Amino acid sequence: MKKTSLRFLVPFFGLVLIFALIGCSNDTNGNSNSNNTNDSSSNSDSDSDGNTASDERMSVTIMAPSFSPEGLDSDSPALKAIEDYTNMDIDLQLVANSNYDDRFNVTLASGDLPHIMVASKSPSFINAARDGAFWDITDYLDDYENLSQANEIVLNNTSIDGRIYGVYRSRPLGRNAATINKEWLDNLGLEIPTTVDEFYEVLRAFTYDDPNQSGQDDTYGIVVSEWEGPWNTMQVWLGAPNKWGHDEDGKLAPDFMFEEYREALRFFKKLYDEGLVNEDFAVMDSGQWFDPIVSGTAGVVVDVADQANRLQNRITENYTEDDIVLDVFGAVEGPHGLRNLPTAGYHGVLAISKTAVKTEDELRRVLKFLNDLNDEIPQNLSYNGVEGVHHVVNDGVLDIIAQADGGNLFDREVRDLNQFQMAIPEERFIKAPQTLLQQRQAEVMEANMEIVVGNPAEPLISPTYTERGQQLDNIIDDARIMFIVGQIDEDGLDEAIALWLRSGGEEYIAEINEAYEIAQAAQ
Amino acid sequence: MPNVETSQSGPLHQDEVRKISKWQMILRDKWLYFLLLPGLAWFIIFRYVPMWGALIAFKNYSPFLGFWASDWVGFTHFERLFQNPDFYRILENTLILAAYELIFVFPAPIILALMLNEIRFSPYKRTIQTLVYMPNFLSWVIVASLTYVFFTTSGGIVNVIVENITGSTIFFLGDPEWFRTMIVGQQIWKNAGFGTIIFLAALSNVSKEQYEAAIVDGAGRFRRMWHVTLPAIRHVIVILLILNMGNFLDQGFQQIYLMTNSLNRSVADVFDVYIYFSGITQGAFSHSTAVGLFKGVVGIVLILTSRYIAKKLNQETLF
Amino acid sequence: MKSHNTPMGRVFDVFNHIILAVIALAMVVPFMYVIAGSFATESELARRAFFIFPETFSTGAYEYIFSTPTFIRSIGVSVWVTILGTIVSLSLTLMMGYALSKSRLLGKNIVLYLVIFTIIFSGGMIPTYLLVRDLGLLNSLWALILPIAMNPMWLIIVISFFRNLPHELEESAKIDGASDIKIFWSIALPLSKPIIATFTLFYAVQYWGDYFNALLYIADNAKYPVMLLLQNIMTMADVRFGDVDALVEQPDQSLKLAVIVVATLPIMCVYPFLQKHFAKGMLLGSVKG
Repeated sequence: MKKTSLRFLVPFFGLVLIFALIGCSNDTNGNSNSNNTNDSSSNSDSDSDGNTASDERMSVTIMAPSFSPEGLDSDSPALKAIEDYTNMDIDLQLVANSNYDDRFNVTLASGDLPHIMVASKSPSFINAARDGAFWDITDYLDDYENLSQANEIVLNNTSIDGRIYGVYRSRPLGRNAATINKEWLDNLGLEIPTTVDEFYEVLRAFTYDDPNQSGQDDTYGIVVSEWEGPWNTMQVWLGAPNKWGHDEDGKLAPDFMFEEYREALRFFKKLYDEGLVNEDFAVMDSGQWFDPIVSGTAGVVVDVADQANRLQNRITENYTEDDIVLDVFGAVEGPHGLRNLPTAGYHGVLAISKTAVKTEDELRRVLKFLNDLNDEIPQNLSYNGVEGVHHVVNDGVLDIIAQADGGNLFDREVRDLNQFQMAIPEERFIKAPQTLLQQRQAEVMEANMEIVVGNPAEPLISPTYTERGQQLDNIIDDARIMFIVGQIDEDGLDEAIALWLRSGGEEYIAEINEAYEIAQAAQ
Repeated sequence: MPNVETSQSGPLHQDEVRKISKWQMILRDKWLYFLLLPGLAWFIIFRYVPMWGALIAFKNYSPFLGFWASDWVGFTHFERLFQNPDFYRILENTLILAAYELIFVFPAPIILALMLNEIRFSPYKRTIQTLVYMPNFLSWVIVASLTYVFFTTSGGIVNVIVENITGSTIFFLGDPEWFRTMIVGQQIWKNAGFGTIIFLAALSNVSKEQYEAAIVDGAGRFRRMWHVTLPAIRHVIVILLILNMGNFLDQGFQQIYLMTNSLNRSVADVFDVYIYFSGITQGAFSHSTAVGLFKGVVGIVLILTSRYIAKKLNQETLF
Repeated sequence: MKSHNTPMGRVFDVFNHIILAVIALAMVVPFMYVIAGSFATESELARRAFFIFPETFSTGAYEYIFSTPTFIRSIGVSVWVTILGTIVSLSLTLMMGYALSKSRLLGKNIVLYLVIFTIIFSGGMIPTYLLVRDLGLLNSLWALILPIAMNPMWLIIVISFFRNLPHELEESAKIDGASDIKIFWSIALPLSKPIIATFTLFYAVQYWGDYFNALLYIADNAKYPVMLLLQNIMTMADVRFGDVDALVEQPDQSLKLAVIVVATLPIMCVYPFLQKHFAKGMLLGSVKG
């Protein structure tokens, strides 16, 4: 009996071996195989779509991040309406937003690229674009009514080696702003600061002149967390360039090489030494950054304009006009006038993959689709859903009824639709009634557009920076914080800059200047 | 003490082993192979088939081009790692932190388990057990937030107490001197309770009779702990210790990253943070894989060394 | 046994009880803050750094969570994956662990080295993704189970446990002609209740806590486990995790805390149920004597 069972065992081992071999072969050929299968499937797609009359629907797959726990229902009437309007069959691949980049990378590796992918300008996307994964659409945009009106600065920011590989999802350029406690200003008889000196005076008064009239020393001027963003914004107010500036020779140099930067740091240090900034800002958990504003301990926070409304809502839920204690301002006037730090002006691009979109005809079809999405009707559908189902408009006032009762209907049928909306050239959808504070925010963002300072190196790519950008940034950011809290002096700053130059900074500067010259010559 | 392997073979087989052929041995243990097979198949399919991914350390891997189309670059990524001016600082930070973890974090659940084992009032013991394992379920984000709340110099309760006693505050969160203490403390707080479970399971195999026999011999509390309790969990301790050496250079990215700031970065830069930023943020798949391989080689060396030492000390090592 | 306690032992007992109580308190208090915070208002959360009783009691966050079927459904997914996954994992681990605990097994060392190698080296995210895709598991709940079905470290510990079981019973069963499977099933497993309880808990916690595999392999929101929702809400619009999109509304702090409570309470309830089995194992263990 034992002998027969022995033979019984052999196939088992064989099976394991076969499994392993199948697995191996599957895998090592994985990429080339999948490309092939993908080819054939999209070929059959194009046979049915490309060669027939253009009123036949083309199906398009879009991969985008998802912020709704519910996920979008594929039967959503809003999605159907967008499909009808654009004459497309839309297959949404929504990916939970956390670690979207990982999913992006494995999708690239799988070879099964969707037609349209939301991509951030990460090294992965840059490499893939250079390797030919996505269509270069630079020369096509002008043929489309909406896309041709895209903002030149933003387009330039999205470009890779001077070419454009995706239609950007527009965001306000002038979003950076400061939120200030208006009630405190009123108590002290002060106005919203307009110059650096006034700004300092306000912060000083917020700290020492009992702005909340409690009779106690329980307030301070401005709250900053360990996140470096606020310093970046404020140093531009104070005249430092936005990351890169032109030196006397017309060469590009990083911001910290300029005297204005040094001046800004001295100003920050003064704020810190006089106790106008929270003492532990260098280690403050960013999750608690705004708490001192809400609790009425700090009077100013430098972040984004829309933060004011959010913070006001945390102070008084569903606040009315009488409840408003916060106000917003964009920037204060420094030695070079009124300046502010812009955002990149976009949040990811919609890139069109070459593996799914084979021919130029198909590309034009997809581009037309993206173009049409920016019309008023689809914009409205993306943000507000279908009239009568998700929202109603009474006397021109929008009411998103789907957001009532926890917003389940809105989450299920509308929310994520704005993830493939570009809003180019502008936002055309109807907006819900704005509070006074929200109107102020909008004004500030509008005004910021006039005073934002561009970063001449924004679209430029340096291999050295791609490789060790994080380390380089850390050297300077850390030195800045250490200087502010007094752990190093100006010589220490110089040493940090010297270290930065040695650690690859010199190559970085050279590469940026080279890329800049090429870009200038091309224009 | 002889290695358990030999005592395990027992009286039945010790003599046979040398006489019977390999086929007969396989035949004899056919049902054991049957039990082994599903697991082995799993390891081959899910762990060894994807192992080609380790080879991208020798390529310039681009996910879109795929494995074959990416260029072979030999040891370039390793050279880049060793030539990185930060390499030795990162290595030093990693080694020191790993040593701290070995000395302070590793024994914590053992001590806690021994303390719990000494409690005889069962409801109390159960309550404590249930409570201490709860922090394991809080994510590092929450732990970091709470750490800030408790330890900040502006009104954190710990610093309020410190100030009342010593007259000055301690900059726990920003002082590089305190960084490792905080990391180790957080790990003990979060994981020690959960870690006791495995030792308590091992302790449950100790019979009452063994304790009673020790009492009859006149052994006191601590001698019983030393001679009865500890030996019962020693095999688990030794195995865990050896296996932990394989991951000696792993620190867990999230915790370190959340606790790092501009003031303590000089001691907080460790390999896992470096791998995260070069692999995810900078898209250098090959380079971060190379760093991972380097860590792995160190792990192998440490595992084999500690196994050798354990064998010399007559401890059961399994392999 | 108490009569055998020495004075030193009694002093030790007192201290031991007190120290453990302090430790337990230090470990449970932050969790109480999470629970209290989930019932608090936004302004209170900003004003008070730490509290255990909210001033104003608000169930708004929970009402929001349970206003839709999403969370309940995702908890259902997590429960299913956890139960099925734990069964699969335990079966594989116990079977393989038992076989490898027999030192007479030919090839045992090779397999052991293969296993230990995987503690240290892995192929990484992309190859594993391609494997899961090639196996046709994308968007299947099996993709949340199979890629993490075994933990090599735990397997080794299981082997070590089996090694240290009293073998007298096995030996006598062997002499009576029982097969290895029968010995495994009716002698080794009943003696191993504490290990089984331990690794039931470990695997259950692993499956419950995993969100990364869901992120990679699951496209259909209806199959999201609750931890992925938690992760999504925790990282949404948080400067610590990269750019903050102007479009995305930041979730309330109380909502984040309430989601933590909803997502972790079910798995925390597993332990008290398993605790009994540690004690059972102890009784069986004494059979040896």
